[in-house]
Amino acid sequence: MAVIPVEHGLMLATVLFSIGLLGLLVRRNILYMLMSVEIMLNAAGLAFIVAGARWSQPDGQIMFMIILTMAAAEVAVALALVLRFYRQFQTLDTDAANTMRG
Amino acid sequence: MTTMNIAYPEIIVIATAFIVLVADLFMTERSRAALAPIAALGLLVGIAVTATLTPVTGELLGGRFAMDPVAWWFKIVFMLASLVAVIMSMDTLDGRARVRPRGMGFRGEYYWIMLSSVVGMMLLISARDLVTLFVSLEIATLPLMVLAAWRRDDAKSGEAGLKYVILGALASAFIVYGFSILYGLARSADLNEIARAVATEKSPAFLLAVALVLAGTGFKLTMVPFHMWAADVYQGAPTPVTAYLSVASKAAGLAFAFQILFRLFGDMLPQWGALIALFAAITMTLGNVVAIVQHNIKRFMAFSAISQAGYFLLGFLGDASEGVPAMIFYLLVYVVSNLAVFACIVWFANETGKEQIEDYRGLSLTNPLTALCMMIGLFSLAGIPPLSGFVGKFFLFSIASKAGCHWLVAVAAVNSTISLYYYLRVVRQMYIEPADKEAQPPSPSTSISITVAILTIVVSILGIVPTIYQHIHAATITWLASLQ
Repeated sequence: MAVIPVEHGLMLATVLFSIGLLGLLVRRNILYMLMSVEIMLNAAGLAFIVAGARWSQPDGQIMFMIILTMAAAEVAVALALVLRFYRQFQTLDTDAANTMRG
Repeated sequence: MTTMNIAYPEIIVIATAFIVLVADLFMTERSRAALAPIAALGLLVGIAVTATLTPVTGELLGGRFAMDPVAWWFKIVFMLASLVAVIMSMDTLDGRARVRPRGMGFRGEYYWIMLSSVVGMMLLISARDLVTLFVSLEIATLPLMVLAAWRRDDAKSGEAGLKYVILGALASAFIVYGFSILYGLARSADLNEIARAVATEKSPAFLLAVALVLAGTGFKLTMVPFHMWAADVYQGAPTPVTAYLSVASKAAGLAFAFQILFRLFGDMLPQWGALIALFAAITMTLGNVVAIVQHNIKRFMAFSAISQAGYFLLGFLGDASEGVPAMIFYLLVYVVSNLAVFACIVWFANETGKEQIEDYRGLSLTNPLTALCMMIGLFSLAGIPPLSGFVGKFFLFSIASKAGCHWLVAVAAVNSTISLYYYLRVVRQMYIEPADKEAQPPSPSTSISITVAILTIVVSILGIVPTIYQHIHAATITWLASLQ
């Protein structure tokens, strides 16, 4: 069985993380921003799996599962707030979220 | 040593949290007023058990959960802060406020979520591997995001929660990506083993991991330039939650910074002195300068809290055996002083529904004692002798001076003067401006009056009684020895 080199996995993780970060900075729609954060978290999870596979340890996969759970919890909170945000502002544009200044 | 009793504080708080949640199911809306006393009692028992814990060192779960003297102090601070926050929330949630904020209900869930976040913070300082550290960090911060958005009908509260969630998730992503690189480099998820493995590491990957983790830590500590969330979240969150956020999230941020900077990167910390000094100078200056022009008292306290984070950073310079006790002592002082001020703000918001600094005019005529307590709290934050804030700042500044950063001590001293100016703005409104004739004078509330009185006494004597600092110092020596 061909083994995927560690470098490839880590490179993919870096690319995914950068895409997520860029998306978060560029996008103005809250849903897309949340998706970008998810991509970043999953990139970190992927890096954990690659590292765990490299050292033949279960820790990497355990951490990945925990990252998934935590990301789900965060999204649960965030989506509830997005729903509220939409009801109050009738838009998902973050530029509307500027009621507080100073 | 593997004895279960070192985990009793956490177990008690978790049990209390679930008792509150389940009891809420079977209660009528009227009898739910009993929930806050239950939560407060649980926290009191937790503090008592922690205080009588012997020995204060030990580990559980194969060394993944460890208790040590520094963790002991942090846990006491976390539980004290949340105890005061629970008491402060009572008036608002039980409907005793004259101006009821809309959408503040669901008492059972509120206290449950608050207690959950305390448990997360307590686990955070006891964590000894990446998994526990990350999970406890999330348990500590996710509830805070929910609490910030607690007022259902309020657009500002929702906006605060949403900003906090998105930026908090971003910080988590940074931290966890940094952790993944560290794990890959060190071949272990144990913090002490990672510290040993990366002690001489100089590779670009390691530097990336350090940068990512430190950025995440900076976010939790509201370090400039990662402070952007704080002002909006503090302003939008319900006032008792802001009080809790300002002390608990700061304490948790400091606990996380301890884990990262002392346990994980302890060998490299002395080389980062210049960088930390720079961040400290920027953080305290920006926080102070922006606070001058604020009109909303919660936003004002947010920038005050940001500048206080800059003072905390001074403790990471120089010798850890001096810096650690100074930071823990200042944390204690900061928590007590800030809560004393916030208790007055919560009470004032309950009574009048107003939160502009100008609304406080003439408070010394209508409620002289409350105004006095608030002034003492503000003066302690500014660092006026003989209040505890002065002593705490004195220790931190002397560390920066011993580390050779004399310019930073000068910057910090100038910043203290600036902070005195804007804290005096509030005092001026309370003492010099005439009271509003038409407005109904706010009437005192029993629970908050008692809290404010006790906190003010503690603020006044904490700096004079030397035993506390001596105890913290002794605790630090054993803790530092265990790091090696």
